[in-house]
Parts: sequence; structure tokens; C-alpha cells
Amino acid sequence: MGSRTRMFLRRLATVAVALLALGGQAADAKMLKVGITLHPYYSFVANIVGDRALIVPLIDADANPHGYAPQAADMIRIMSMDVLVVNGIGHDSWAFEILDAAGMRDKLTLIYANDGVSLIPVAGDPSGAKVVNPHTFISTTAAIQQIYTIARRLGELDPDNAGFFRDNARRYALEIRKLRAEFDTKIAGADLAKFRCATMHSGYDYILQELGLQVTAVIEPRHGVEPTARQLADTIDRINAANVNVLFAEKYFASKLSDTIKDATGVKMYSISHISSGEYTPTKFVDEMRENLATLATAILETSKGS
Amino acid sequence: MSATAIHVVRPAGSRYEGFVLAAATLAVIGVLALYVHERGRDESAEPLYEWQVSAFDTLTGADQAIYNSLYTVKDEIPFIYDDINQFNEPGVKFHWPNLQDFQDWLLPPFYRDTSFEQNGSLAWSLFEPLPEGEMQGSTMYLGTDGRLSGQGSFLLVIGHVHAGFTNNNAIVIWWNAQNHVEMPQSGFRDRLILQGWKEVVPYVGAQEVKRIFGATVAPAAESDTVPWPELPAEPAAEPDVEGIIEGALGE
Repeated sequence: MGSRTRMFLRRLATVAVALLALGGQAADAKMLKVGITLHPYYSFVANIVGDRALIVPLIDADANPHGYAPQAADMIRIMSMDVLVVNGIGHDSWAFEILDAAGMRDKLTLIYANDGVSLIPVAGDPSGAKVVNPHTFISTTAAIQQIYTIARRLGELDPDNAGFFRDNARRYALEIRKLRAEFDTKIAGADLAKFRCATMHSGYDYILQELGLQVTAVIEPRHGVEPTARQLADTIDRINAANVNVLFAEKYFASKLSDTIKDATGVKMYSISHISSGEYTPTKFVDEMRENLATLATAILETSKGS
Repeated sequence: MSATAIHVVRPAGSRYEGFVLAAATLAVIGVLALYVHERGRDESAEPLYEWQVSAFDTLTGADQAIYNSLYTVKDEIPFIYDDINQFNEPGVKFHWPNLQDFQDWLLPPFYRDTSFEQNGSLAWSLFEPLPEGEMQGSTMYLGTDGRLSGQGSFLLVIGHVHAGFTNNNAIVIWWNAQNHVEMPQSGFRDRLILQGWKEVVPYVGAQEVKRIFGATVAPAAESDTVPWPELPAEPAAEPDVEGIIEGALGE
């Protein structure tokens, strides 16, 4: 092959690559860039939009959203988004700091996933105070409500794909409901009257309520706040008085406190995922909720066997 | 021992100092009060009427769980209505999803699983709208006779309105403190209130966002009126294909 031919082919290849890149950019330009703050919202949006939008997580996958300190890279990411899906009632307050820092507060469209969720108070609060529980994403029904809200709002922003988003949301909602059917099969015949649980924090109130299970006590007075010695002693007394036999603790954030309570009360401890760490994947929510429900089923079956 | 003489020495400008201190204190209080008035959060809850009840503050346990399931279901029933009627033959009356349809869709609080039993196994029934009279347009799902102590009854009322090709559904969820209630004879608000029903008002995320950030960034509150799927209001007549072709050809 002569040098002229090689030169011609090289130029042709360069032009082809450039055209492909331009084509890709044009295709990307038509797609919404949907930002998300928390892991469940990645899964929700991924299942709603399929391949018809790009998803941009606001913070790195390995960052802990609890007490997250915004980084410079977050500001660059937020400026590339068309819309940002937020929890808005807790867990992602740092997103608003990033919005302010990037000067995007009044420019970026926000989808508040919880807009249409009927909220519940934190369970087992000894003071009886009605404090809003923001853990709506560790759930099935409240998650489905958020999925419908996100799909509807994305459909308003991208009317051409509104029907596609709605159909995907419905299909995904059914997939989530099937998790509950699987759970139900696992606990068939169990005596739920023997199941009395406490939780380390209020993260599991929505899913437990949806399954018809009540929380007797919550250890942390507020999310992420460890109890004082007096509060802990009172909680242990309540656990013993109510014959609580199960304690649910956070899977990814080990706490010596839960070991202390386990030793003081004899409860069996089980770990539930907060769905707030690890890689962002479309299947993460369903995978981790399936694990959570399997853990709940194990706890119910084991207490059912007890006296 | 000799008595100690105490001499109180007043500063020469004590009156002036006292006045300045009081004025400075009042100024600080005033500025803070103004700041709180202008920028402070409004923590007051939205007032409820006597015929309303708060899902967040008043309902508890199983009743709260059932309500929250119904609250999500209200967005799904129109979709299911669309699904079950889309292949209707012309002239076939459209029908609302019945309790068996809800079983097929695994839809709580109707789906008979463990949570259904844990939440009192309410007996659900459907009232479909009549073609004429007061009950025209009102579809109602009644859940009553729960087996838990102190459990109330629920009524999901769908007011379905046709206006040309536009359809809309005003969906309201009602709660009655009575454990046993008969299917109401009317879906109208005033009639229900007289029979002891209370409209359940949720505390939704939009309200919490407004409480946290203030009115300026709060999104519009979620409406109980949901968009109707793209379905003709009435079964379409069989198209006259030959007539259309002839018309187009001008024959």
C-alpha cells in the first residue's frame, strides 16, 4: 500500500471518527441528562428511562451520603445536568449546598421524588413526638409512589418519551411488588404474633409498616445520633418490658452500640441494607430490597420457632 | 470587731449607660424578631376541617398502613382501568377494576397476602357507577369489618367526569372510625360527612419540602386529581372503512 493511499485512509478514518463523535453528541444532546443523589434513585431512573436518557450520579459511588461533604467535582457534574432527582426531605441536603455553590439553585429543574408520598412519623419515639421519617426509599409502596412521580415529571420534560417512561414505571412497580409476593411465600405459615422488633434507627419504618409489622423501639433518638447513657438504659428497659426478640441494624455501618444492646437484652440481631453504598446499578434497588426482605423473612421464621 | 463600712459607688454616667444598654438589647431583639418573621420557617401545620383527619398525626398502625397503600393505588387504578378495557368490543360497557383484578396486579391493600392479614383483613367491595342519578360517575371501594381492635373503615371514591374527550378523576380517600359500615348510598362529600366519614389528608413530601426550604423552592403540591390515560371516553364505533375510502376518492 502506497503512502498516499495510507494517508488517504488515515484521513478517511479521522473524518469517520469525527463524524461518529458528532453523531453521538447529537444523539446525547437530545437525551435528558438526569442527575440523581442517592443509590435508589439511580435504579428508579434507570428502570424508567431505559436507554432514552443519561443518568449522572451527583456524588461518587463510594461516598457515604450520610454527612457527605461536597467536592469540587460535584459542582462540575451538577452543571452538566438537565434535571436532578432528590429525596429532598433528608439524606441529600448536601445536594442543595452543591446547587448553591455551583450557582444552579434557580437554574436546574429539581424532581422531588417524595412530592406525592404520604409520609409517616418515626416509629417508637418514646417522647411521642411526630417527626417525619425521610427513609421513603427503603420500602416498596412508597418507592413505587416515587417511581410514578419521577416518571410523570420526566415525561413532562421529555413529552416524546412520556408514554415509554410511564409504561416502564408500571412494569418496574410490578417487579417491586413481586418481591413482596416472594417474601410472602417465604414466611407462609409463620406465627407473626411472636415477632417483636426494635431497630437501630428509623430507616426501616416504611417497609415494616408496609408488611404489617410494627416497630416497638428505635435505639437512636435521631438518625445518626447515638443515645445518651440514660436514653440507652431506658430503651433497654423498654425492649425487655416489651419482650422484643429482634433487632435490625444497618448492614454497611457497623455499630458497637448494637452489640451492647444485643448483650444487654438477648435479642437476635439482623442487618438490613440502607441501599446507600456500592456501585450505582439499575438492579441495585431490587437486589438489595430482595436481600432485605429475605433477612426479614429469616427473622420472622426464627422467632416463629421460638417459645 | 469593727463594722465594715460599705460604700456604693455609682458611675457618673449610670443613667446614660443603663439607657444605652436597654436600647441595644431592644435593638438586638427587634432585629432578631424581624429576621425570624421574614426568614424563619413556618412550622405550623395546615389546618384541617372537622370533617378531615390527618394520616400523619391521627391514623396509626394498620389504618395508617392501609391508607398509605390506598394513596399509591389511586394513581394506579386509572392505569388498570385502561388495561382491562382496551380490548373491549364496541358497545361493551367499560368497567372498573374489581377485586380480582387487584389480585392479579398484587395491589395492596387489596392483595391477600400476609400484610393484608396483619392489617386486619378488611372486607373490600366495589360499587360501580350507575348510568343515571346521584351515583352517576362515582366509583367506590369500601373496606370494612377489619378484625383488629379499634380499626376503622375506608372508602376510596373516584369521581369520574367526562367532558367531551377529556376525562378526569377526582380521587378522595375517606376514613370512618366505625369498624362496620355499609356501602354509602352516595359518593358526595356532604352525604358522606353526615354518615360519619372523614376525608383523610396526607402529609406529603411536597409539604415537608416547603417546611424545610420555605415556599420559594417548594414544588406544586401533589393533586389528588390524576391524569387520565389516553383512552376514549366511550367505546369507539366500528369505523366505516369503505365509506372513508369512498369519501376520500370522491365517489
